[in-house]
Amino acid sequence: MMDLIKRLGLNKNEVGNQSHIEVNTSICKTCIDKPCIRVCPAGTYEEDKEKGITVHYERCLECGAALYACPFGALEFKYPEKGVSYIYG
Amino acid sequence: MQCLYAMMDYDVDVAVIGGGLAGISAAITAAKNGLSVIVLERGEHSGSKNVSGGRMYIHSLKKLLGDHYRDAPLELPIKKETFEIYTGNHKASFSFENKDSENSYSILRSKFDAWFASEAENLGVPISYSTLVSGIDRENEGLVVRSDRGDIKTPLVIEGDGATAFASRYLGLRQEKSFKMQPVENLQNNQDFMPKQFMLGVKEIIDKKPEGDYGEAKTILGLSDGIKGGGFSYTNKETTSIGLTLKLDSLEGHDEKSFEIIEDFREKLGIEGKLLEYSAHMIPFYKFETLPRRYADNILVTGDAAGFLINDGFTIRGMDNAIESGRLAGEAAKKIKDSGNFNDTFVYEQMLEDSFILTDMQAASRISTLFGNERTFDAYPKIMAGILERMFTVTGNPRENIKNVMMDEIKKNNIGYYTLLQDMLKVI
Repeated sequence: MMDLIKRLGLNKNEVGNQSHIEVNTSICKTCIDKPCIRVCPAGTYEEDKEKGITVHYERCLECGAALYACPFGALEFKYPEKGVSYIYG
Repeated sequence: MQCLYAMMDYDVDVAVIGGGLAGISAAITAAKNGLSVIVLERGEHSGSKNVSGGRMYIHSLKKLLGDHYRDAPLELPIKKETFEIYTGNHKASFSFENKDSENSYSILRSKFDAWFASEAENLGVPISYSTLVSGIDRENEGLVVRSDRGDIKTPLVIEGDGATAFASRYLGLRQEKSFKMQPVENLQNNQDFMPKQFMLGVKEIIDKKPEGDYGEAKTILGLSDGIKGGGFSYTNKETTSIGLTLKLDSLEGHDEKSFEIIEDFREKLGIEGKLLEYSAHMIPFYKFETLPRRYADNILVTGDAAGFLINDGFTIRGMDNAIESGRLAGEAAKKIKDSGNFNDTFVYEQMLEDSFILTDMQAASRISTLFGNERTFDAYPKIMAGILERMFTVTGNPRENIKNVMMDEIKKNNIGYYTLLQDMLKVI
């Protein structure tokens, strides 16, 4: 098993200073299932005791899975200006 | 209307959003028809944001490019089809080889799409790369496409921006909870963007391939940790593509995460070699009956954005649909421009209805209900493995009759004959 972070490191990803994902933590705090954590293939969403969810936007592969999975519309997702570039795809 | 069109100060006849297979096909076709076109692409080059499992049925590419398709940087012709079904310690497999087949090729999108885009550029189509569209506004009779590289005024948008379909959201054709949309007339009133309508594709590229000068496509069932979905493996020229397509609604309630399941999958397959790339992408998974809206005033929707993925049990394909729907949108754009009425885009829908895309999609509708069904991924593989195990085992006791074995295994897995018959009829 190759660690996720190492796998993400294989990709070219130009990360900006600002997160392209915003979560409404007042909603996330009350969310029990947190499907965003389960569906995201990049470990972008992590459980956080205080905020409910922490977003590691620099890991994002821009697939959109979390956007569909969030049942409460707590996620504002815009594509980043640069982001990931695949060599094979 | 014609006068109004002439009076409006448009930058182009058509703005294509997304420089992937559908968008580039649309741009090539529109340009060949004499329209002025611009393509807006988010990636630093076409293909840099694209991920496909990795096999293209090439009939649409041939239709678009003629013999010139032979210059395309495809990987290997797929001449061997294999199905592998895993249940516990059992594995059943089935292979079919056709040495003459050049019907489909393995493909790596980063390379292919970059080449495909250069085909459009050779026809004089400008492609604006690293361009992020942030919104589309209606103004007078036309549209203003907003991007980080400036605004473009156009009477017509061809949307080829993939499964997330942001252009459709901006214009209110589709919506979901997290998007603050202004209400728009003609809104299709179905529950859009539901998890059950999507699959997550997770993929890995391995630096080794099996011997041989032709490609093998494998469909692998039973290695997705109980999640509805399947696995695949395609041989490329120098690498192997492996991956899983996982139904999003099934993944949501699951303990193991998608990035762990893919590594389990690789290990269970026992594939040797170094990992070169890890990628993920959304895959539309609509039934014909619930497909999103494909046309509205000033917009035509193509490819994954329109939900054109067809799964009929034997073949799973989106890329040929993307190319053909793009081509049709390019043809439709010409007709719409000639009519002078950019609100009347129904001609595109008519062309889709006459094409293989909607015909095949409708035909696959019945079988696709099987893939939303627990039995397909659990009971049926177990029944098959159970039957094979007993038929291949010799104990010294009298041999069992195959009919009795079948009935016994079906009963063991709590499947009713009527249910089984109904499901079997869906395949035929």
